[in-house]
Amino acid sequence: MRRILRLTALRVRRQFLDWSGAWWFTITLVANESLGPLAGLFVWSAVFPGDPRVVSYFAALIAVQIMTASYENHTFSETVYQGTVSHELLQPQPVVIGPMGENLAIRLWMTLFGLPPAVLAGFLLGATYRRADLLLALPALAGAAVLRFLYTWILALTAFWTERVHAVVTFGGMLVALLGGAVAPVSLLPGPWRAVAQVLPFHAMLGLPADIATGAVTGPAAVAALGRGLAWIVAFTVLAAVVWRAGARRYTVVGA
Amino acid sequence: MRKLARLFATGFSMSLRRTLTYRTNLLFDVALAVAGLLSSLATVLLVFARTDHLAGWTRPETFVLVGTYQLLTGVKAAFLDPNLAWFPTRGIREGTLDTYLLQPAPSLFLASLATAAPLALVEAVLGLGVVGLGAYGHPPGPLGIAAWLLLVLAGAAVTWALGVLLACLAFWAPRLQLDVFYNATWQLARYPVGIYRRPLRLLLTYVIPLALIATTPATALLREPQPATLLTATVAAATATALATATWRLGLRRYTGATS
Repeated sequence: MRRILRLTALRVRRQFLDWSGAWWFTITLVANESLGPLAGLFVWSAVFPGDPRVVSYFAALIAVQIMTASYENHTFSETVYQGTVSHELLQPQPVVIGPMGENLAIRLWMTLFGLPPAVLAGFLLGATYRRADLLLALPALAGAAVLRFLYTWILALTAFWTERVHAVVTFGGMLVALLGGAVAPVSLLPGPWRAVAQVLPFHAMLGLPADIATGAVTGPAAVAALGRGLAWIVAFTVLAAVVWRAGARRYTVVGA
Repeated sequence: MRKLARLFATGFSMSLRRTLTYRTNLLFDVALAVAGLLSSLATVLLVFARTDHLAGWTRPETFVLVGTYQLLTGVKAAFLDPNLAWFPTRGIREGTLDTYLLQPAPSLFLASLATAAPLALVEAVLGLGVVGLGAYGHPPGPLGIAAWLLLVLAGAAVTWALGVLLACLAFWAPRLQLDVFYNATWQLARYPVGIYRRPLRLLLTYVIPLALIATTPATALLREPQPATLLTATVAAATATALATATWRLGLRRYTGATS
């Protein structure tokens, strides 16, 4: 386990340095992640003018979106299509360490570039949070970061079967946006949809940290939601291992 | 002009034949387009479950707006994205532009419109259906339909020009990749520009004229078309097209080739 952690840390360091030259592209990624929740902010501010909870929720959502962004369909799936994943398969370490390290490095850069403007925008628009809620939101944020990576990683592994991995991930992203709290806070969904959204993993991937930070989900409800998120992490980890094994068995490469 | 139209038709026909070879992809893309549209409509329904008006737009009117947005998104995905996406990397740094420059057709046409992703037009057709659904209760007059068509064409021209202008930046800064930013900003056109606060609204109307993508054509279809709006949109489209062409020529003068 210690070896895996050391290898991951080394990979994060290497990718962090690699990405230091792509700062302009990182800013465009930050803008890409922020504009969806920003549009949600404007839409729901028009519906509930003057409601400070709308601003607080969507400002927190922008921060969550930036800090949990995952691009494994670009960083990993392309290596399957180009055949370069073979190099990784030959190394005496789990292949997932590479995409995981790059994921963390990209998130670090995105947080460095994106979080200060998001905090400033929230402050200027009048977002307010209680310190206790923010502290409780931290484990939810960590859970969202892990869950979002696992989800995108599993979808990215479909590259072993289809060449339309970007479409698969886009479809997965739609589900996260619709049922995870980006299009509308889960509390505003109609009754049956709300119940479904709370049970599925998408809320824990995106909206839950923002809901906890704004005090919309507190006490036992917050603990139960965190527990559900943890259960989804376990389920996705098992699923990722199964899909990886099946994909690696299917993978063939020609040439040297 | 006729030669370009023939080239465009040939390029589209070849892309269509290439695409139809993979039937599973066809089904997949149709399913994705339907899912995308349903997601947009679900958003509208969610909003209107809580209010009767969104920045002065009723639910059927917002359907017209979303449909118009979807129509131009489909057109952009079918004709612009397959050509100009990742232009700084593919066109400039990897040297694909060199091959265009050697061919007996305008390089701007080859770089921006030579190939297509015909399946993306499914999204445009679905968008048209949503426009029809939104306008069903209050069918617009022929003048409104003509104004809408003109504004959609102006929107398509501005979309092409913006894409070319962003691609042209690569002549001066080859590492500058703004596709992701353009696609993200494009999402803002999905809602009436009236919902955005003043600085952003002015930006989306005059600097990056995304209001022309959906809000302006939908307004013309649903309400009395204003001659001043039609004139401004036409001038904006002509100016943007001329600016894109001039910037491309200026960029080509600077270009020294990536290969050989």
